[in-house]
Amino acid sequence: MSQYKYPEVLVDTQWVADHKDDPNVRIVESDEDILLYSTGHIPNSINIDWQLDLQDQLKRDYVNRDRFEHLMSEKGITNNTKVVFYGDKSNWWACYAFWAFKLFGHENCLIMNGGRQKWIEEKRELVKDVPSFPTTEYTIQKINEEAIRSFRDDVIPHVENNKPLIDVRSPDEFTGKLLHMENYPQEGALRGGHIPGAKNVPWARAANDDGTFKSADELKEIYENEVGLNPNDDIIAYCRIGERSSHTWFVLTYLLGYGEVRNYDGSWTEWGNLVRAPIEKP
Amino acid sequence: MNTIDEVISTFEDLDNQLRLELLLDYAEKLPSLPEEYRNEEQIEAHLVHECQTPVSLWVTVFNSKVHIYADVPRESPTVRGFVALIIKVFNGVSPAEVARAPADFLHRTGLANTLGMIRLHGLSALYKRIKDETHRASLLNSVKQ
Repeated sequence: MSQYKYPEVLVDTQWVADHKDDPNVRIVESDEDILLYSTGHIPNSINIDWQLDLQDQLKRDYVNRDRFEHLMSEKGITNNTKVVFYGDKSNWWACYAFWAFKLFGHENCLIMNGGRQKWIEEKRELVKDVPSFPTTEYTIQKINEEAIRSFRDDVIPHVENNKPLIDVRSPDEFTGKLLHMENYPQEGALRGGHIPGAKNVPWARAANDDGTFKSADELKEIYENEVGLNPNDDIIAYCRIGERSSHTWFVLTYLLGYGEVRNYDGSWTEWGNLVRAPIEKP
Repeated sequence: MNTIDEVISTFEDLDNQLRLELLLDYAEKLPSLPEEYRNEEQIEAHLVHECQTPVSLWVTVFNSKVHIYADVPRESPTVRGFVALIIKVFNGVSPAEVARAPADFLHRTGLANTLGMIRLHGLSALYKRIKDETHRASLLNSVKQ
């Protein structure tokens, strides 16, 4: 049985229970639902909202350097703090926050395998108290954008050179069917379909029913045997707004150890609106 | 705080933190589903596909009054709170009043800013769906009479 390439990036619920009061560790909950943390969370954990804390609310982008540094300072996170992310929906949003922290070059990021669901299923303690920590000095060391984020101008030559793209949306979004169904969310895109050449692997296929990640062998079966990815490939993953694809980015980068995986956060809400962008539809 | 205007004026005066707390209070107060609707949650006509959260909805009009019931998972407190808020203001009023409720409710209350642009999509669609269902139920009701 093969192992994850970087198993040290995952911790289990027991590790979190043992380290939640460690001053060098900060437990961060990140959920799709902004109120979920307030209904009960891991003791001593803080909440970081993927939209209001990490995204700029005026232009479509992440917060700037100053605002990220300010956020880290407010949350009591130093450049050396071990930040452990967990959240709802098989750590979908936890992976998104993890990816955003990596954009800002935070070195020490981990994921609690199984997320909120596993913690609750194990009947571990949930509290409503919101902890506060002394503010810190935080200075971004290096913006890591080039390595892990892809823009539309990177995607165009990627398509032309037939490099691998993974579309992690549902099969109906991939085929464009969803845009034509009455009452379905329009995805904020004027065209349906997918980026030419993209392979469809819905993100949740990498997760078990209990919210944990599938084993290395199972992941290789999907991404290598079924889809034909190669660990040395230059890969772009996308979805609708770049959140589901950050889960797949995490799986390919850390669990399978692929060296060149980027998340295209413009994703379908950009591509499906882009004039003259090529689209494939079955 | 019972009419839609009162709800709007209460919410718009709050800061983001208090708006979230109020919404969470509502989430905890969503009326439970009447016995006769149980086991109907998965019936297509009641599923609200507009929202990513699995919401089931029942809207009826009886004696010119609107009655709304909904089932929203506890893991989605924002949607649960929003639906509970809408039920609170629409239940017992006339279909005409529901029709008059402003389309930009989420903006007027300030919830659009509090929740962020991306969450707005599903909630606006859900709000519109409730208004549409009310209209449909009132037409059905007038045909029956």
